[in-house]
Amino acid sequence: MLADWPSLLFNALGWGMATFLVAAGLTLVFGILHVLNFSHGGFFMIGAYLAFTISAAVGSTSLIAFLGASLAAALVVGLLGLVVDRAVFRRLAQVDGAYVLVATYALLLVCNGAVKLIWGLNVQSAQPPAALFEVTVLGDLVMPHYAMFVIAAGIVVYLALEWLLNLTAAGKLIRAIAADPWMAQLLGVNVGLVYSATVALGFALAGLAGGFLVANQSLSPDLAGIFIIQAFGVVIIGGMGSIRGAFLASLLLGLVDSFGTALLPDMPGILFFVALAVLLLVRPQGLLGSGRLA
Amino acid sequence: MTRDRSPAPAFLLTLALLVGCALALPAFVNRGVVFMAGIVAINVVLGLSYNFLFSTAGLLSFGQAAFSAAGAYATALLLLNAPTVPFLLVLLISALVGAVLAVLIGVIALRRTEGVYFAILTLAFSELVHAVIAKTRFFGRNDGLTGIPRPTLSYGFGAIDLGPGDRYYAFVVVAAALVTAVLWWITQSRLGRSLRAVRLDPMRAAFLGIDVRRRRLQAFAIAGAATGIAGGLGAPLTSLVSPDLAHWAESTKPILFTLLGGAGTFWGPAVGALVYAAVEYGTRSLAGASDLITGGLLLGVVLAVPGGILGVAVRLLRRRDPARSRAAERGEPAAPAVATRAAPAGGAS
Repeated sequence: MLADWPSLLFNALGWGMATFLVAAGLTLVFGILHVLNFSHGGFFMIGAYLAFTISAAVGSTSLIAFLGASLAAALVVGLLGLVVDRAVFRRLAQVDGAYVLVATYALLLVCNGAVKLIWGLNVQSAQPPAALFEVTVLGDLVMPHYAMFVIAAGIVVYLALEWLLNLTAAGKLIRAIAADPWMAQLLGVNVGLVYSATVALGFALAGLAGGFLVANQSLSPDLAGIFIIQAFGVVIIGGMGSIRGAFLASLLLGLVDSFGTALLPDMPGILFFVALAVLLLVRPQGLLGSGRLA
Repeated sequence: MTRDRSPAPAFLLTLALLVGCALALPAFVNRGVVFMAGIVAINVVLGLSYNFLFSTAGLLSFGQAAFSAAGAYATALLLLNAPTVPFLLVLLISALVGAVLAVLIGVIALRRTEGVYFAILTLAFSELVHAVIAKTRFFGRNDGLTGIPRPTLSYGFGAIDLGPGDRYYAFVVVAAALVTAVLWWITQSRLGRSLRAVRLDPMRAAFLGIDVRRRRLQAFAIAGAATGIAGGLGAPLTSLVSPDLAHWAESTKPILFTLLGGAGTFWGPAVGALVYAAVEYGTRSLAGASDLITGGLLLGVVLAVPGGILGVAVRLLRRRDPARSRAAERGEPAAPAVATRAAPAGGAS
């Protein structure tokens, strides 16, 4: 049953990196605002629809057009993030934690409604670009190029965020504010600006994930809910806004999901929730829960 | 705010008025609206039991769908497979199933009561329940169970068939009113008072000799039982149950009713459920607009009037009496501020 472990590992990696792509922006926003943003899934979905529409308008199935459409979707969703930050997140400062979760859930409903109004209720399916249609076979292991692309994209996004947060001046600023906004303000940092920029980046990552994963799922107004629970799990297990933690949690939960589906083929996805609960009880602060963003 | 003393006559009068209106409804509107009113009555129970958990015990659960689904499936399975069991016993079993599931989940989830953790743990467990229901043949997998009959109430002196006309609707209204009365009574009781103490200051409550975890588990079980009954009432009304009942989107509904109507008041969730149904009905023909309006409305309430609709109404009514209004204001539970932008620096720049 488990003889085919290279395939299982490959699937785990695919699941993990797809989830990490969605969770990266969520982690960033959670790390700096301490807002667990329900609407992240909604903006991920908007990114997917935007990339789909842009691809269709361009009419090319080349890899360049695919990447361009994803980046354009990231840009638009990032700008939407600025609007959301100004219109919603700033006003949540005075509100109790429970209401923040509900406010972002309300925002998710708004996203769903907007998608239904603009793109309709029909399920559409997007094709991966022609270059990613191929499959590499290594012995028993079948590796679709699109899955390899998603894995590579996850790793690249992770490394880029590590670089941004740990090796650049902007990253140090973000981490300083995540740790102690009041002190940062005293030191003359424009805290509001960094907040807005980080939120915009987090949303842009949602849009990018939407563009990259558009061919992984059929496009429907249900798309928002599909990844958001997985991404929530990854963010919480990773530990309060830790990008590295989210990356590790993605890999770990990917393994759980992949091997769980092989062990319990009648109950796919069930071990994910069991693992989530067990991990939260054993390590409530998350894998790398230091309360710091990085 | 669930005030420390809420006069019983005022409560009973309100309840009687609501039940009277609900029972008179079939005389004025068509069957579609009566069916919706039945759903609203069930949603009121869902909202009130959630409010009990949230406003009285201070627990932000994101997994209530698991309990209502458990109740719905228990009722459905019993009505389909054991039609001789009296329906009131069936409802009691639904309550029991909801309570037992709540205790099982609560024992684990209540080890972490800080807002986000507790919310995510309950969410994870309810998704687990969702996955189990959707994949088990006994529960009909993704198709659910269909053709659930309307029950018959039978006693020694005769039987009432709830099948024809609006009889089952009337039964739902009366049952919902009874659950409401029980929830109100618990809120006012010694248990309710000690739960409020736990919510306001768990450490101080512990010093006073209150077993904090046990109290929270009791609250969770009570809310689970009431939610289980609500699910059980719903199954024969819609005549089908499906795994969607346990989906996390269902868990957000009672939260929505509560915050929309006002978490600070006992009747807030009822107002919220009613307003939600009205919005849903008014926008039913507009694809997408319904989500947009519901979301926008909720967002507006949370951002502009955190006290909810009833909270604002109470404040406006009491404006003439500033001494009393001050006491009644800001009654929302002081859940840990896990998710607020750091206050001093985070405001508008």
